[in-house]
Amino acid sequence: MDAISLENVTKSYDGVTAVNDVSLRVRQGAILGLLGPNGAGKTSTIRMVMNILVPDEGSIRVFGEPVSDTTREAIGYLPEERGLYPRMKVRAVIVFLASLRGMPEGEARRRADAWLERFELKDWADKEVRDLSKGMQQKVQFTSAVLHEPRLIILDEPFSGLDPVNAATVKDVMLEMRDRGTTVVLSSHRMEQVERMCDSICLIDKGRNVLDGDLRAIKQSYGKNTVQIEFTGSDAFLSHPAVASVNRFGSGVEAKLKPGADPQEILKAALQSGVQIMRFELLEPSLNDIFIEKTGHA
Amino acid sequence: MHKIWLIVKREYVLGVKSKAFVVMTLLIPLLGIVSVVLVGFVSKHGSNQSLRLAIVDNAGGSAASISQNLGAPMANGVHQFAISETLDRPADPEDAEQKLRASINAGKLDAYLVIPSDLSKPFELHMKNTGNFAARAAVMPAVNQALIEARLRARGINVDNVSEIVRGADLEVIKVTISGESVERGQTFGIAVGLVILLYMSLLMYGIVTMRSVLEEKTTRTMEVLVSSVQPIQLLAGKILGVAGVAFTQFLIWIVSLSLLLTYGAFMAAMFGGGSFPVIHIPASLLFSVICFFFGGYFLYASMFAAIGAACSNEQDAGQLQWLAMGPLVFAMSFYWLVMIDSTSTPSIVLSEIPFLAPVLMPLRIAIQTPPAWQLALSVVLLFGTILGAVWASAKVYRIGVLMYGKRPTLPEMLRWVRYS
Repeated sequence: MDAISLENVTKSYDGVTAVNDVSLRVRQGAILGLLGPNGAGKTSTIRMVMNILVPDEGSIRVFGEPVSDTTREAIGYLPEERGLYPRMKVRAVIVFLASLRGMPEGEARRRADAWLERFELKDWADKEVRDLSKGMQQKVQFTSAVLHEPRLIILDEPFSGLDPVNAATVKDVMLEMRDRGTTVVLSSHRMEQVERMCDSICLIDKGRNVLDGDLRAIKQSYGKNTVQIEFTGSDAFLSHPAVASVNRFGSGVEAKLKPGADPQEILKAALQSGVQIMRFELLEPSLNDIFIEKTGHA
Repeated sequence: MHKIWLIVKREYVLGVKSKAFVVMTLLIPLLGIVSVVLVGFVSKHGSNQSLRLAIVDNAGGSAASISQNLGAPMANGVHQFAISETLDRPADPEDAEQKLRASINAGKLDAYLVIPSDLSKPFELHMKNTGNFAARAAVMPAVNQALIEARLRARGINVDNVSEIVRGADLEVIKVTISGESVERGQTFGIAVGLVILLYMSLLMYGIVTMRSVLEEKTTRTMEVLVSSVQPIQLLAGKILGVAGVAFTQFLIWIVSLSLLLTYGAFMAAMFGGGSFPVIHIPASLLFSVICFFFGGYFLYASMFAAIGAACSNEQDAGQLQWLAMGPLVFAMSFYWLVMIDSTSTPSIVLSEIPFLAPVLMPLRIAIQTPPAWQLALSVVLLFGTILGAVWASAKVYRIGVLMYGKRPTLPEMLRWVRYS
C-alpha cells in the first residue's frame, strides 16, 4: 500500500490549470521530493492531499483511503504559509496543536520540551510567539508538525527561511524519521538543496508531472553524460562535435555531452591537442540538468 | 466534541487574560464604586458649608421673615444659608450694594438678596457662582412664603405658620407591575436607558472580538495548520462558544458587583459621607431575560461577525464589511426611543419581534412594562430560528472563506458561497 497515491488529479482556479492530470505514488517509509519552480503546482497538490482543496477531477488516497478529515489527521503538516497564534506562548501553542491531534496534554508538554531543547529554543518556551524571530517561529512550527509522530509528514518548503545550521538539523530530523518508517513528502523549488536527501522525486512543471520515480534509477537512466576536466593549455578541444555545452569555472570546465556521445572521444581530443590533464571525471547529471532537459527551460 | 472543547478553552483563557478584558471588567464596577463614594462625599461635604447671604430690604418688613425661613436647617442638620447681615431700607441702596459686591469679590460673602421697594418688581439675587442651583431653588420659596405672610397680614389675617397653609400637593408616580407596585422616581427610565446602552455596546464589542479572533487566525496563517487538525465547523463553534464564555464571565462579575453595589451602596455612601443614595431595585426576572436576550443576540451577531472575519484577509477589508453585521444593531438603537415612549404601540411590538432587533428592543420593553407572554414566546422562537439559520449560513461562508486569501469578497459572492457548499 502506498502512503499517497494520486490518480489523474486536475485542479483549476478561474480557468487557470494549476495541477494538470497528475498521477503519483509515494512509497511508505521513503522521502519524496516534490520539485519544481515557483507556481508549478506543488502547493496545490499538497493542499489537495491535505483535503484543504478538492480536486476538480481524479482521486487521491492516503494509506489506501480516499482523502477525508480522518486521513488528514494522520498527517503532520507544515504549510507553505507559516503562522502561529502570535499572542500564545511557545510551549502552549505546541501543546494546543498537539492536543488537537489527540495527544494527551502531559505527553505533549514532555515532548514539546524535548523538541525545544533540540532546536535550542528552551529559553523561549514561555515567551509569546510574536517575540520570536522568523526562523525560530519556523522551528516551532516544524516541531508542531512532527510532535505527534504521524506516519506521514508533508512539509511545504521546509528549508525556506532557515539558516544552514538549522536547515541541517531539520534535514537530520527528516532522515531520522524516515529511518523509523515515517513517510516524508517535502516540496522545494531549490533542487540542489533536496537532491541529496530524497529517495524518490517528482518533478512538476506547469501543473504536470514531468518525471517521477526513484532518484538513483532516474540518474542512472540519464547516464554519466557530464565530464569535469581540469587542465592547463588551450581549450580548443572543447569544440569537439560530441560536446553539447560547456560550463567554465576556475581551474577547469564542466562539459555536457550530446546524447550517446562517448566521453573517451573527448579525452582523446584533449590529449591530441597537447593540453596537460590533471583530472578527468564522469559525473551524473544534476536534478537541475535533468529538469531542464525534460522541460526545455530552467 | 473534545476538539471543540480545546478550542473553547484556548479562546476563553486568552480572552479573560487579555488586557482589554481585565480593564473593562474592573472599570465598570470601579466606576460604580467611585460614583457611590462621590455621591456620598458630595452630599456631605458639598452641603456642609453654608452660603453666606446678605439681604438688602428696600421695602422694609420682609427681611426678618425671609431670613428666618432661609435660616432653617436642612434634613442633615446643616444650615444652607448663613445670613451675614440684613440692611433695612438703607439710606443709599446703590452704595450699600456696592459694598456688598466688594465683599463678594473679596470672598467674605457669597451672595446678597435685594428686596425691591415695590414688591411687584422682581427680587434680585446677586451671586458669584450662579451655577449653584440648590441655593437658587431654595431662595424663591422662602421669599414667596414671606411675601404671602406679609400680604395676609396686610389683610388682617394673622397666621403663625404660612408654610403649612401654602403647601401644595406632591405627585407621586407609582409603577404597577404584576409583582406589585413600586414608587417611580425615574428608575425605570434609568434602568431602560442603561440596559439599551449595555446591550448595544456588549453585542457590538463581543461580535467584533469574535471577528478579530477569526481574522487573526487568517492573517497570521494559523488557519491552515488548524484546518489540518479540526473541521472548520468545529473551529467556528469553539470560537463562538469560547468568546461567549468570556462574555458570560464579564457579565457575571458586573452583575455581582453591581448588585453588591446597589445593596451596600447606601451603606458605602454613608460610610464615606453620610449622604443619601437612591435605592434601585432591578427585578431578577428582568436580569434573567436580559441575559437570555443578550446571549441570543450574541450568537446571532457573533456568527455574522465570524463569517465576515472569515471572508476578509485583513483588518481594513473587515472594517468595511463589518457594517453588514453592525447595521441591524445600529438600526435597533435608532428605534429605542419609540419603544421607550410607548412600549405597547404596534410599531414597538413589531420592531421588538424582528430577530435582529429583539436582543436590544425586547429587554427594553420588559424593563418598561412586561409584554404579554405570547409576544415574548414569539420573539424567542423567531430569534432562535434566526440564530440557527445564521450559524448555518455563517458556517458555509466560514468553511470557504477561511482558506481564501486576496480580494475581499462582495456580498453577492458571499451569498453564493452559502448556496454552493
